[in-house]
Amino acid sequence: MPAPIIIVRGLCKRFSRGGKNVDAIRDFNLEISEGEFIAIVGPSGCGKSTFLHMVGGFEPITEGELLVEGHPVAGPGPDRGMVFQEFALFPWRTVAENVAWGLEIQARSRSDRVAIVERLLAKVGLTHFRDHYPAELSGGMKQRVAIARTLAFEPRILLMDEPFGALDAQNRELMQEELQTIWNETRKTVIFITHDIEEAIYLADRVIVFSARPGRTKADIPIDLPRPRDLEVKKSTAYFDYRNQIWDLLRDEVLRARAEFA
Amino acid sequence: MMAKLRGGAWLGLLPPLIVLIVWETMAEAGRLPDYLPAPSIIARQTLTMLASGELMRHIGVSLFQALSGFAIGAFFGTVLGLLSGALRPVDRFYEPLISLTYPVPKIALLPLIFAWFGLGDLSKIVTITISVFYPIYISALAGAKSVSRVHVWAARNMGASATQIIWRVLLPTALPQIFTGLRIGLALSFVVMFVAEMVESSVGLGYLILFAEQNLRFDMMYVAIVSIGIIGFSADFLLRQIGKRLLVGQLTATEIRR
Amino acid sequence: MTIVRWFGRYYSIFLLLAIYELIVRFGLVSPRLLPSLTVIGEQLWRYLANGELIVQAQVTLYRAFAGFSLALILGMLIGTLMARSRLAERLIEPIFYFGYPIPKIALYPVFIFVFGLGTGSTIALIVLECVYPITIHVHAGMRSADRVLIWAARNMGASPVQIFWRVLVPAALPIFFTGLRIALPVALIITLVTEMIGESRGLGYFVTYASASYQNARAMAAFFVIAAIGFALDRAVLYARRRVVFWQPTDTSIK
Repeated sequence: MPAPIIIVRGLCKRFSRGGKNVDAIRDFNLEISEGEFIAIVGPSGCGKSTFLHMVGGFEPITEGELLVEGHPVAGPGPDRGMVFQEFALFPWRTVAENVAWGLEIQARSRSDRVAIVERLLAKVGLTHFRDHYPAELSGGMKQRVAIARTLAFEPRILLMDEPFGALDAQNRELMQEELQTIWNETRKTVIFITHDIEEAIYLADRVIVFSARPGRTKADIPIDLPRPRDLEVKKSTAYFDYRNQIWDLLRDEVLRARAEFA
Repeated sequence: MMAKLRGGAWLGLLPPLIVLIVWETMAEAGRLPDYLPAPSIIARQTLTMLASGELMRHIGVSLFQALSGFAIGAFFGTVLGLLSGALRPVDRFYEPLISLTYPVPKIALLPLIFAWFGLGDLSKIVTITISVFYPIYISALAGAKSVSRVHVWAARNMGASATQIIWRVLLPTALPQIFTGLRIGLALSFVVMFVAEMVESSVGLGYLILFAEQNLRFDMMYVAIVSIGIIGFSADFLLRQIGKRLLVGQLTATEIRR
Repeated sequence: MTIVRWFGRYYSIFLLLAIYELIVRFGLVSPRLLPSLTVIGEQLWRYLANGELIVQAQVTLYRAFAGFSLALILGMLIGTLMARSRLAERLIEPIFYFGYPIPKIALYPVFIFVFGLGTGSTIALIVLECVYPITIHVHAGMRSADRVLIWAARNMGASPVQIFWRVLVPAALPIFFTGLRIALPVALIITLVTEMIGESRGLGYFVTYASASYQNARAMAAFFVIAAIGFALDRAVLYARRRVVFWQPTDTSIK
């Protein structure tokens, strides 16, 4: 059995704000094998995004170990593609140009770029908007462009920070199916943060329940539903069982988080 | 565009049109003091001076000085502003210097600059350069500082090098504000040029006004005034058009409509 | 702030002043051209002590403030009118839109003929110049009031007058202060400029006269006073903004 592609041991992240120290994450442990789809659910502000930022190499770790492919994370790079919660689209470029951005950096040929952009825009359903600017798009459309952009440069690991958060319920269902399809084709390693438990169950191999601050693993639940998963699986009893189990765990943490901020 | 011309724009032309008509009739009826010649006389004098080439000579000199000063000041202002916005040590060096000298009217330096650099073109260009530098530096600084962290992260995520980040993220983000600074600087360059020529010069539009005033040639005076008004407006118009091309996608809805 | 941190923050100023003084002391430039800081300081002290700089400063400040106040009142009236009446907006806006890039200082000679040389024409020019940024910002400020806020006020039964004073005016204040911060230095600049062109009083005149008499140190001393005034005025506006627009942090950086 090959070594896990991502190893997290005793991870700790401390923020200093005006003299006070806050532990966003403390003693967090996780192992992810290549090709696994991991979903992380947890109360707001518990450090999920911070963890993703550290895997992405945007935030330094305070203590502990964070190894990707056996090496400590040294900084950002196209091997760990990130879909940001805030979209991070470049407002001065059209939709098509945004999707092509990573490919330009990698100096891919023009014909390659065009082909890849077209393919991805079709996947996210934005072909007709290729020449529009982000300012003209709704939140949900911007998010789809962000997803297309990250998929374009084919990172080995996908880091997705609530990528379907800004989508309405209908588009969210469609994008979940689409992400399923893409993942089935490519079997990338995915770390997927979401508030939506049902979404997590539908998509993931394992669901990690993050505790309230300071964040750490409260539960690590393997999802034993058959793959490939279609819409039928959402009607199964196992699905409901998982949902109830995870919500019970999560509910405690949400209440704890609320109490802390009260 | 057409919808605006149909109803609303005509109203805007009304006040100046009325003023012109009233002015012309009153001047012809001899009801106006000497220093307010009729618009028709001003128009005639403009044509005369254009034909003789005299007007173009003055305009040429003024324009050259203003634009030279603007170009130099804009270059330094943009480069330094972007540097300061991107690198904290640079910002920390310039910040007290700029913020202490910013509220000071650089125009007040004019007599000193004349004393240091002589009474020629160089002094005027230097003064214009210094005056123009400030608003452009400030705008470039603000623009560079407005780069969002997430954009830089996304760029690094996609493997961009530092140089690529500067050209593909920093510059486009700062561009709208740089342009605002450029517009302010351009208008300022004409004002400073004008004043400098009025203080000390032997050619140019500012000099022309002074000459006309001293010789009670009011028609000539208005020719100079109208000329500089047109130049100021046209330059700004051109800059705005360039801005529209360059800043596609970053303009707000109202700006696009204009 | 401790002395050390204060110095660390403003070190570039001291550095430049030190370099300047070194250049002068080592005779790299003629002392006539660039007087040493001590000579400048001496001139500053002398003309402050004998009151002349104070008198001239008062003249300049009076003109600047008179013109600025008039422009303020006029600007607030026109700006409010434009914000409340679409007809007024359509009629007046082109004057501001097209007139902005035109250097209005070109009209100064005309004003001299109308108002005569002196304070009158200076104030007229200040009004003409300053009314632009003030009007534009008052107008923009009032229009910036979020539609939702107005709807909420009407939902709670507010009359148009109440909406004006309780919603529109507070919404307009942040942008209004930006306009103030732009217009005040303009008033000072215009005053100084007119004093440099054929005037016989004020700080602008003082600088020009000193310079023309080859008294560069004196001119630079006066320049320092001008700088101090300009800086103090800017801080005053920022202070006022901090008190009036208390619900928003005031950005003390330059613009």
